[in-house]
Amino acid sequence: MADRHASTVIGSGTIVRARVTGTGDLEIAGRIEGDVSCSGEVLVDAGGLVGANISARRIVVRGAVKGDLTAEDAIVLEAGARVVGDLKAPRIAIAPGGLVRGHVQTGGAGAARPRSAAASASRASTSSASASKAAERSAPARVEAKKQAPPAPRSSSSVNGGAGKSGAHRGASGASRVGPPPPVVPVLKKGTKAALHGQSKKR
Amino acid sequence: MASTVIGAGITIEGEVTSDEDVVVSGTIRGKLVAKDAVTVEHGGVVEADISAGPVAVAGSVTGNISSNDRVDLQNGAKVVGNVKATRITIADGAQFKGNVDMDV
Repeated sequence: MADRHASTVIGSGTIVRARVTGTGDLEIAGRIEGDVSCSGEVLVDAGGLVGANISARRIVVRGAVKGDLTAEDAIVLEAGARVVGDLKAPRIAIAPGGLVRGHVQTGGAGAARPRSAAASASRASTSSASASKAAERSAPARVEAKKQAPPAPRSSSSVNGGAGKSGAHRGASGASRVGPPPPVVPVLKKGTKAALHGQSKKR
Repeated sequence: MASTVIGAGITIEGEVTSDEDVVVSGTIRGKLVAKDAVTVEHGGVVEADISAGPVAVAGSVTGNISSNDRVDLQNGAKVVGNVKATRITIADGAQFKGNVDMDV
C-alpha cells in the first residue's frame, strides 16, 4: 500500500485463475488459483485465498494458502494465517495463531545440502534421533535444528514423534515408581548369550 | 479508488474475474471480466477479451472490448479488436483497428 505505483493489489472481490509472474510487490485480498512467482514481497491479506504455490523474495501470510511457499528472504505467518503446504525459506516466522500443515524448512541455498539431509533424517527417523544427530554436528547446525524445532510440532508426523518420545520418557521415569514396564527385549538367562554364540560359532 | 491493481512488471496469464474496479498497469493475457470499471493505464498491456462496465484505455489492448457502459480510448491508446458499447469516445492520438458496435 505504501508504494502504490509499483505494487499490485488483487482486491477482495477479484478472482484470478492464472499464473501470476513478475517484479514488484503483490498484495492479495481476493482469490488466486494459479502459481504466483514474484521478485518482491507477496502479502496474503486476512481475506485472501491462494490455491497455488507462491515463490517470492518475502512472503507474509494473514489469510489462507493451499500450496508450497518458497521465499528467498523470509516467510512470515501472522495470526490468522492458514497454510496447507510446505514452507521453505532462510528465515521463517510463525506467530501465535498461525496454522501450518506441512513440512517446514529453514536455511539458505548455500548450506542447503546438509540441512536437507538432516530434514530427511528427521522425517525418516524419530525426532530424538535427528536431535542427537544435530547435536553431533557443528554449533550453527544445532542452531538450525533449534530453529526448526518450534514449528515442527505443528506437522502431524513430528507431533507423533514428539508424543512417542515423551511417552517413552514418562515410561522410563515411571518404571522406578509404579512398576516395571512391559519388557521390550526378551530377557535371556545368564549364559544363554554365550551359548548362542557358541552355537553360531559351531555352525 | 481502484480495488484491484495489476502493477507494472506483473504478468497474469489466465482469467481475471472481478466484482470491482480493475486497473491494469502490467500485462494480462487471457480473459478479463469485471462488473465495474476497467482502466488500462499507459504502459499497460491487455492481450485478452475485456467484458466490463466503463472501460478506459490509455495503454495497449489486443482483443475485443465489450462494455455495458462506455469505452474511452484515450490519447496514446492502441486497440486492435472490436468494441461493443453504448457510448464510445476515441481521443485524438489513439490508435484503433476494429469494428465498433453501438447497437446495444
